[in-house]
Amino acid sequence: MDDVSDPKPERRFWKPDVRRDVDDELAFHIEERAREFATAGMDDDAAADAARRRFGPVDTIAAACRHIDEHAIREKRRIDMWGDLRQDLRYAVRSLAKSRAFSLVALVTLALGIGANAAIFSVIYAVLLRPLPLHQPNRLVFIWSSTDAFPRSTLTPGRLVDYREQLTSVSAVAGISHLSVNLTGTGDPERLNASSVSSNFFDVLAVAPLLGDPFHGGRSDDRDVVLSYALWNRRFAADRGIVGREITINGSSRRVVAVMPADFDWPSITARGSSNFGSPELWLPPARHEIPRMPREDANQDLRADRSAGYLRAVARLRDGVTLQQAQGEAEAVARRLAHQYGRTDNGLGAVVQPLREQFFGFVQEPLFVLVASVIFVLAIACANAASLLLGRASARRREIAVRLALGASRGRVIRQLLAESTVLALGGAALGLLFAWWAQSSVIAMAPEGILRLESARLDLPVLGFTSAVAILTGIMFGIVPAWQASAGGVNQDLADGGGRGSAGPRASRTRDGLVVLQICAALVLLVGAGLLLRSFASLSRVDTGIEMRNLLAFDIILSGPRARSGAMQMAFYDDLLRSIRSIPGVKAAGAAVTLPIGGDDFGATYAVEGRPEPKPSEEPTAGYQIVTPGYFGTMGMKIVEGRDFTDGDTAEAPEIVMVNQTLARRAWPGEDPVGRRLRIGRNPSAPWQTVIGVVTDIRHLGPATAPRPELYEVHTQSPFSFMAFVVRTEGDPYSTVGAIRHEIARLDPGLPMSGIRTMEEHLSRSLARPRFLSALTASFGGLALVLAVVGIYGLIGYTVTQRTREIAIRSALGAQRADVLKLVLSKALILAGVGVLLGTLLALSLTQLLSGFLFGVTPGDPWTFAAVGALLIVCAVVSALIPAIRATHIDSTIALRT
Amino acid sequence: MPERTTIDLLQGTLGVLILKSLSWGPMHGYGIARWIEQIAAQDLLIEEGSLYPALHRLEARGLVTSHWGVSETNRRVKTYRLTEQGRQQLRAETHSWDRFSAAVSRVLQARRAGG
Repeated sequence: MDDVSDPKPERRFWKPDVRRDVDDELAFHIEERAREFATAGMDDDAAADAARRRFGPVDTIAAACRHIDEHAIREKRRIDMWGDLRQDLRYAVRSLAKSRAFSLVALVTLALGIGANAAIFSVIYAVLLRPLPLHQPNRLVFIWSSTDAFPRSTLTPGRLVDYREQLTSVSAVAGISHLSVNLTGTGDPERLNASSVSSNFFDVLAVAPLLGDPFHGGRSDDRDVVLSYALWNRRFAADRGIVGREITINGSSRRVVAVMPADFDWPSITARGSSNFGSPELWLPPARHEIPRMPREDANQDLRADRSAGYLRAVARLRDGVTLQQAQGEAEAVARRLAHQYGRTDNGLGAVVQPLREQFFGFVQEPLFVLVASVIFVLAIACANAASLLLGRASARRREIAVRLALGASRGRVIRQLLAESTVLALGGAALGLLFAWWAQSSVIAMAPEGILRLESARLDLPVLGFTSAVAILTGIMFGIVPAWQASAGGVNQDLADGGGRGSAGPRASRTRDGLVVLQICAALVLLVGAGLLLRSFASLSRVDTGIEMRNLLAFDIILSGPRARSGAMQMAFYDDLLRSIRSIPGVKAAGAAVTLPIGGDDFGATYAVEGRPEPKPSEEPTAGYQIVTPGYFGTMGMKIVEGRDFTDGDTAEAPEIVMVNQTLARRAWPGEDPVGRRLRIGRNPSAPWQTVIGVVTDIRHLGPATAPRPELYEVHTQSPFSFMAFVVRTEGDPYSTVGAIRHEIARLDPGLPMSGIRTMEEHLSRSLARPRFLSALTASFGGLALVLAVVGIYGLIGYTVTQRTREIAIRSALGAQRADVLKLVLSKALILAGVGVLLGTLLALSLTQLLSGFLFGVTPGDPWTFAAVGALLIVCAVVSALIPAIRATHIDSTIALRT
Repeated sequence: MPERTTIDLLQGTLGVLILKSLSWGPMHGYGIARWIEQIAAQDLLIEEGSLYPALHRLEARGLVTSHWGVSETNRRVKTYRLTEQGRQQLRAETHSWDRFSAAVSRVLQARRAGG
């Protein structure tokens, strides 16, 4: 046996070099063996050879050793890491459990901050981030016309045909038109949003049906209809045998060929980019020559050459490798060519290619980002609170930390330990926060305005849980790092010599805590000012005079079906009879009807030409809202006739064609002149008859309180009969009390005809304010949350300060300071901090609220009243929350405090 | 589980020999090879290289530890030492081996039953 004296140990700085170690070890063996052979008399080369032979395959053996070592090192590292982490976490939980009050306040604070973020993220994820159920949705675009006045407007059939034939950067173009149709036959008649689309529509989207087979490019039967999942569920009880069945639409029979899947959320496509009248529930094939149907016209016209009726939207799929810019460039080039070719109609019309995602979600992005910004502020305030609490706790634990450092724990180890504590807090807060988020999310969905695609599908699902944990860990590190750094920095000797958990916090920690409170007040101010501005603009929206007498106004829909729906004369007779009967009901003051009710009903628009004026360029044609009403409608709505006369029963279909206009149109068309007796023509068709203006009515805000009155044209229903009318009834008392009597009158005229869509105009108005209400309510909730958290922060800090300064206060009282002096001493600190916070917050808010200007109505982003009120509120809250600890300070008994 | 131990022992024979060699004190790989060679002489011929994977495996299992030092000839030397766990393992395996070899010799020396 060799004498192996234990060699001098080698110092290692970093991880072992496995390859070198193994090579050295094996080489040593072979060399030793060779030396032995040489000693026995072999010559050196033969000895080396023999030693190698005796050893065996060196390379294989070295590889095996390396493999074993590397595996062992990995394993050891893993075990070490988990061991440390487990130890840190166990210690963290134990030490948090020891200080219950601290942990509870920190947990609730963090739960609110993290929960608010989780709730908003779940909505953002569901609406914006989740992939669309379409094949490569990023390759889908909408094509619009553009004019100087309207950056996006609908296409005419002629232009749709041109784009379809001339654009090479897209593989296919499908036209879309929006219609309202009457569904009758099974159950109550219902008016539905529908779409007539080119037969290649479903091919362009590349979406698979749930049942059956929709129409395809070039192959569609005029009688086919495709149902949405929602309609199939609601009207046909999700009957899987629906394909092939006949249903009645607008009085004629159609065959169901397919049902679309539940996640096919296809909205109505509007040039303004916000869904304002709901998603289509059924799809109809195009009229002749692949041109989607016009909302009001006969299906059998050849519209290919029509360059005046702009009612079409177009969706297209970009060819592989084509960029959006290239497509945009080509569309513009085609538009320039068309402007040249069809100077009379297409001059001044440009083209816009818009990504599908922007069209669908562009309008929700901004409000959602306002909410994201709000919850980030809330989280920042919560973090500041938690950090401030930790700082207070850390200074109380200086002795414990000093001992750990003295016993040889490295600073990194202590920081890691403290971070483990804050992370445990944050994760606990996140778990609690998810409960809050679950509640908050359902409130958000319930409050949200209609027309936000996919909102209802928001869940606390895996991505949301992942996001929440990530936020929690990040939060834990963020609010833990500064306190941990400061706590571990203290001079060991001094802290131990201090001898007390009650030692002063050190100027650095208190300054940091002061800074955190200033930050909280600053953030709370920004949030509250934002919420205040949105609340004020909601209030001014609610106060806007729409021009309609909203109180005691009932509205409901009548949808005619059967033979009556197909004859204009029969429609008129029915409406007149019904209006007469309703007006005779006791409690009813007036009644009228319109195809398009203001604020939330359908909206038609038209271009018009004024007789005797030079013909304007197509892009500069005047446009107006276009309404069809019955005699008595204006009086019922509370609108006044300012010139000329109202429609009467004498204005029959056979009488000369007449029209009424509102004040805005009268001012634009005949400035300073009497419009009564003048003539205008509706639409671009030069062969349409001139219509005589018989009267002028007061302006109303047809599109809702936020949109200023625009020019309006009114036709009488006898001259433009429609199988659908929305009735309005002015009542003396509660509008709903007359519903029974009205239903009775309808049944007397037609026992099978239901009243649908019953609501009051006030409810309509309230629905139209859903978006500003939603945004202002949510930001106000977050602002309130921020205020509460900031108050907790101030209270905590002042309370802590009082505890810290007990001796000082006791000395002052002993030396004759009055209670008022002590009160002043404590409160002045709160005042100074709040003042600085309010000042900084005001500066920040002044720039940030500019971003809100698109949401504001009747109030400027820098509204001094809002700023002043919020600033005052915060200062009052700061003083009040400091009052309790301040009063406690006045009760400090100097004899007791100084003796201890 | 006696059978299990026996099989382990057969496959890990080299391991037991290494543990036994280290039970006298710390040694480097070459020293272990020399020890086995001297004690067992020609009865147990091993390919020397196969010693090393066995050693590294024992180290990974925590039965031996090693450290690097510098020899008198100024070369890096890796020295192995038995751990407490390794000592226990050696005792257990020695015991199993005794039982196993006793059983095998009983079988081999048995006469035909009833004959």
